[in-house]
Amino acid sequence: MEFVSPEGLRLDGRRPMEMRQIRGEVGAVSKADGSAVFEMGNTKVIAAVYGPREVQNRGQQMSDQALVRCEYSMANFSTGDRMRKPKGDRRSIEISLVIRQTMEACIMTHLMPRSQIDIFVQVLQADGGTRSACINAATLALADAGIPMRDLVTSCSAGYLNSTPLLDLNYIEDSAGGPDVTVGILSKLDKVTLLQMDAKLPMDIFENVMQLAVEGCKAIANYIREVLLENTKQLEHRRGI
Amino acid sequence: KSFASKERRLSIRKNIKRQMGLQDTSKDLVGNMEVDAFRRLFPLPFFERHLLESIRPDARPLGTARDTTVALGVVASADGSALAKVGYTTMLAAIKMEVMTPSLGSPDEGGIAVDFHMPPVCSPLIKPGRPAEAAAVLCKQLTDVIISSGMVNLKELSLIPGKAAWMAYLDVYCLDADGALFDAALLSAVSAFSHLHIPAVSVNDDGRVVAVSGELVEDNLVKVTLNKSKRKLTLSCIPFSLTCLLYKKYILADPTAEEESIMETSVTVVLDLSGRLVSFYKPGGPVLAHTSALQDCVALTRQRVKELQNILNEAIADMDLD
Repeated sequence: MEFVSPEGLRLDGRRPMEMRQIRGEVGAVSKADGSAVFEMGNTKVIAAVYGPREVQNRGQQMSDQALVRCEYSMANFSTGDRMRKPKGDRRSIEISLVIRQTMEACIMTHLMPRSQIDIFVQVLQADGGTRSACINAATLALADAGIPMRDLVTSCSAGYLNSTPLLDLNYIEDSAGGPDVTVGILSKLDKVTLLQMDAKLPMDIFENVMQLAVEGCKAIANYIREVLLENTKQLEHRRGI
Repeated sequence: KSFASKERRLSIRKNIKRQMGLQDTSKDLVGNMEVDAFRRLFPLPFFERHLLESIRPDARPLGTARDTTVALGVVASADGSALAKVGYTTMLAAIKMEVMTPSLGSPDEGGIAVDFHMPPVCSPLIKPGRPAEAAAVLCKQLTDVIISSGMVNLKELSLIPGKAAWMAYLDVYCLDADGALFDAALLSAVSAFSHLHIPAVSVNDDGRVVAVSGELVEDNLVKVTLNKSKRKLTLSCIPFSLTCLLYKKYILADPTAEEESIMETSVTVVLDLSGRLVSFYKPGGPVLAHTSALQDCVALTRQRVKELQNILNEAIADMDLD
């Protein structure tokens, strides 16, 4: 199947190095300490952060740092066919672990000992790149909750089909069987926290594809920074400053 | 909120400050923090001070519901979907249709399966891993009301009598739990049904039902086209609801989560558009109600049904314009 046409257009009309339209909104859930909705094309994800709060399971309390928990679940209607088991299946548990460890690396947990920070992510619509959208939404939600972080973590995926590196794969491109590289970086510090890849890829092409994903992450980081600045301006305005 | 109501709210707060012995200081930030502490430490007296003036902390009169909005078609991958917000309470409902064999007892009827989820996103009180008790209770309530109201004619969901029928899987997700969950859930479910488009299907030579995309392709396998284009359901007797809290002699319509946690007795009334009672739900509670109080609840619901009907019709009209 042809994923990149001879004119250089992908199935949804994008150029190979073009990302889908992203949209982020802070403060979606009133009851949460911090929350955000993040959309990457047709993938829609809502994240809520509760914490720092008292540890629910006393046995897991850590005396020198905060405990970070994460749960990823997909809505029944999020994919093309209705899902029977949206949580607790192996993929969801793996992604929960990945998101937890990615965010734990950048939260300054030593500032909040004996407490717990819960990150809950719910996928409302899935069209490829759910892992990345979840990490971006979690970053926004953590910033909204005022939890101290070392840097903004952003994530983006890239692939290699029809001998072309493609940025931000959607579901059809993802399930084509080609390699799928997901990268998560700390944007200002320029460090990689998450790197996942499957399927075979020669080393030099891998470097290209990874570089493309990193560029995508930096673009998302700029957007997230703008969203947070705008949010702060609104808060200032409401306070009457 | 009008200017007058903000004045009233501030005057009640000043009264509380006076009662607590605080002067009207210029350091209003400190004064406000004391009131918030009072609200946390003594929630019942805080609310009672407001109820005496027939107003609630968010400046609503006792019988008024919060601002309600409905948006249709929010989930592109579902056959019908709606997002309903009542105040901060947010519910997302989506319907996916699948073909199944009808049961032997009713071969010419389809089915509806209702599922209600409260993911940990919606409330700080929900622990991951264990579904909330409220989720199971609400799921049963929602299923009972939707099926018993007869809103959807199950015969419309039939494809080939005895062989194939539609099963409509309705999933309602709570994205923000701020009180009166049942009202918002029912509103989102009803809106999703009114947005539902049944996909076009045709029957294969071997009797299997397959989905048909926009263009009809001439295929040797296609025998019968069951419905050429997407059709909508005809809904009759659409149910709408209102939850009220009973406390002493007061009736508070459309409570927030804070109010529900303090005053536990709630009454949920479900009426349909012709004013008939579909469901009445008062699951015990410390307050025992006179029939007059229950009739007042029904009257408040009647008003609310008219409001909700307008809101839903507007949402449908906006959808058609697009």
